[in-house]
Amino acid sequence: MKLKQTLIIALILSITGLTAWEMYWRSQGFFPTIDDNKALWAVQRSRVKNLTPQDIIFTGSSRVLFDIQLNEWEQETGKRPVQLASVGSSPLPIFHDIVNNTDYYGTLVVGVTPGLFFSTTFPKAQPWEWPQSRVDFFKDRTYAQRLNHLLSLPLQKNLVLMSAGEVDMDDNIDLKALLKRIKIGNRIPEGMPPFYEFGKFTSIDRNLVMMEKTVTDTAFANTIKKVWMFYGKGAPPPDKEATMAFFLKDAEKFKARGGNLILLRCPSSGGGRIGESHGLPRKDFWDDLVKQTNVKAYHFEDYNQFKNLECPEWSHLSAEDARFFTTELAKIMIADGAITNSKTN
Amino acid sequence: MLFNSLSFIVFLVIVLALYYSKLFNWTNKKRMLLLASYIFYGMWNPPLIILLWISTMIDWTAGKRLAVETNKKKRKLWLLLSMCVNLGFLAFFKYGDFFLENFTVLVNSVGIDFQARPMDIILPMGISFYTFQTMSYTIDMYKRKTERAKTFLDFALYVTFFPQLVAGPIVRAKELITQFYEPKKATVNQFVWGLFLLTLGLFQKVVMADTLLSGTADDVFGSDKLLHGVDAWTGTLAFSGQIFFDFAGYSTCAIGIALMLGIILPDNFRYPYASLGFSDLWKRWHITLSSWLRDYLYIPLGGNRHGITRLYVALMLTMLLGGLWHGAAWTFIVWGGLHGTYLILERLQRQYLPFKITKWNGMFLALTTYTCVNITWIFFRAPNFDKAWNMFKSMFYMQTDGEKILGSFEILKVSVVIAILFLCHWVMRNTSVKEVSLKTSPWVLGIVWTIMFMLIVIAQGSGEQFIYFQF
Repeated sequence: MKLKQTLIIALILSITGLTAWEMYWRSQGFFPTIDDNKALWAVQRSRVKNLTPQDIIFTGSSRVLFDIQLNEWEQETGKRPVQLASVGSSPLPIFHDIVNNTDYYGTLVVGVTPGLFFSTTFPKAQPWEWPQSRVDFFKDRTYAQRLNHLLSLPLQKNLVLMSAGEVDMDDNIDLKALLKRIKIGNRIPEGMPPFYEFGKFTSIDRNLVMMEKTVTDTAFANTIKKVWMFYGKGAPPPDKEATMAFFLKDAEKFKARGGNLILLRCPSSGGGRIGESHGLPRKDFWDDLVKQTNVKAYHFEDYNQFKNLECPEWSHLSAEDARFFTTELAKIMIADGAITNSKTN
Repeated sequence: MLFNSLSFIVFLVIVLALYYSKLFNWTNKKRMLLLASYIFYGMWNPPLIILLWISTMIDWTAGKRLAVETNKKKRKLWLLLSMCVNLGFLAFFKYGDFFLENFTVLVNSVGIDFQARPMDIILPMGISFYTFQTMSYTIDMYKRKTERAKTFLDFALYVTFFPQLVAGPIVRAKELITQFYEPKKATVNQFVWGLFLLTLGLFQKVVMADTLLSGTADDVFGSDKLLHGVDAWTGTLAFSGQIFFDFAGYSTCAIGIALMLGIILPDNFRYPYASLGFSDLWKRWHITLSSWLRDYLYIPLGGNRHGITRLYVALMLTMLLGGLWHGAAWTFIVWGGLHGTYLILERLQRQYLPFKITKWNGMFLALTTYTCVNITWIFFRAPNFDKAWNMFKSMFYMQTDGEKILGSFEILKVSVVIAILFLCHWVMRNTSVKEVSLKTSPWVLGIVWTIMFMLIVIAQGSGEQFIYFQF
């Protein structure tokens, strides 16, 4: 058996094949990205135990991830925040984890996307299960998983072929995702419309910006809008009573130990905003939440500089608008005394 | 640490570099391998290394005493100590909650109101494997079938050797400890072949099990609906492929990694889905466990030495306990019971309806065996009896009004993969990968290797656990 020869052949062919695969996907417009996975989130969560009361944590759903730009926030306030928001998630499980499993009593901004915040407390529902799985992963992660994450980061940053996402997206290029795109016949009804990645991380502490394509390519932005419409139509009615009760209990506990809780409603526009106003009217949901929580709260509609911001796909700000939103929001909060400016203090 | 992870690649490169460097003599190389094995295990949950240490210490001491002790009663006590500690670990860590649950049901059924909080004990990875492995040493010592390990280091390495620590193959002392006595070094051919086997094992796990089959099996067995017959069959077939590729993949990786160190581990799978009957199946599926159960359970229970009734009882008990070994749930016991029944029926058939196996009826027999095996997989995979029963109804009452949850391509994909799997097993049943590779040109083998490697990279496995880790 000429095994040495076999190995050399396999090595040469593998290097050639993988290089061709990488080049092909790059030629199709793909670029290396950092995946927003549990391990990346857990690294940020692990920072909480070393935070001081002067620090700030952001949590919520994708709007907080897209709309709060860490560099701009740091520039305005002198503190780089910890980004713990999670896409497609209710903020309640993560807030519950911080309140009950840490002794942090600095500033905690909770993003309120009404459709997610008031969605559910049922553990098996996706908006709950998803963030809870991150909390559980942080608690249970092994040393091997930590090392795997560290080793995977340089590969993710440099190779398109290593950019498999934890979330099933229709432009993932791992083998499972490629096979999933093959459809024959219509044995089962069509599910969700195709959902493509429209954000990218610019730093490993989870600073997310919207891809330029979402702003410039209307057809692409429309594919994202179709997904929001799909979710909007299929969403079960909000469970205001249970979600409020759950949140208020944790909010009281956090406030009682001196924590500075802030509520934030990030912009939405177009059909998304119409749907939200119709299904979860501000007066009945946001205003009531603010009243009962009795903490500082910021709704984009209350500020002239924010109320006309356009979201390219109805729900998140472009990179440029997100930078503007973050800068202005920080200024408003400092002026309001909700947070302090570490640079001047 | 998982074989299909980046941390393992780094770990293996460091271990191989140290192993083949001239820094250490053989004893120090073994010390390095032992330390590496503890790191390999501890990267998952460091405190649970203590269990490994206890098991190692107890069985080393018991073995040492059994080697010199002549008093029969004392010999029995040393054996009992070893078995109590190892089976005690299993009983507490693996079956604690199961026993508690069933005790609660039992006392409630006789009218006593008793509610117990689940103990929520963490299941130490690989405990079923290393406890069985160390027990085989003390039992063999007791029966004077093996020599005492020469040094504690050799014995500790036998218990902890990282390639097969968490999911086998379950290796007997005389097969492995003796290999540690003399310096070992893989030849170039052994090293490259070991690397090929590692690639093949990862391909089975990452591409075949995780990428092509697991999703379908998870969707079908995770559904709480009464499914269309086609969906139920597809899900069951997908699981049959998934569990084979997952477990055989792990064993192939283990054998390959050990070979890269110059250590030979026994085969654990020999194309089981082309088995001609169930006794043939258990000579081909998880061979090291079935031979363990044969030698340490079936034969001590009487085997075929005490008449036909006792034989059937021994067979059934062995398979029921074999089922329980796989998991702490009644569904696993039923799985074992079905296999026990198959084995008994096969013996009856041989006695009353014997027939000669020819090449014409062989494939039919293999297909029949495989179909029957699939029925047992329902209980193995279903989370509870309700789900298993629903699957039965869908598969055998041909539910055409059941819910369709799988797309046509998914059904086609699973069908093609399983058909190829079955045909491969049929063609390969009397040969081995090694034999086939000897007849294959380097170019063809190199291209096959490339395809497997590329698909592993493109599949980008997310480091999912091997199914057998939970057993």
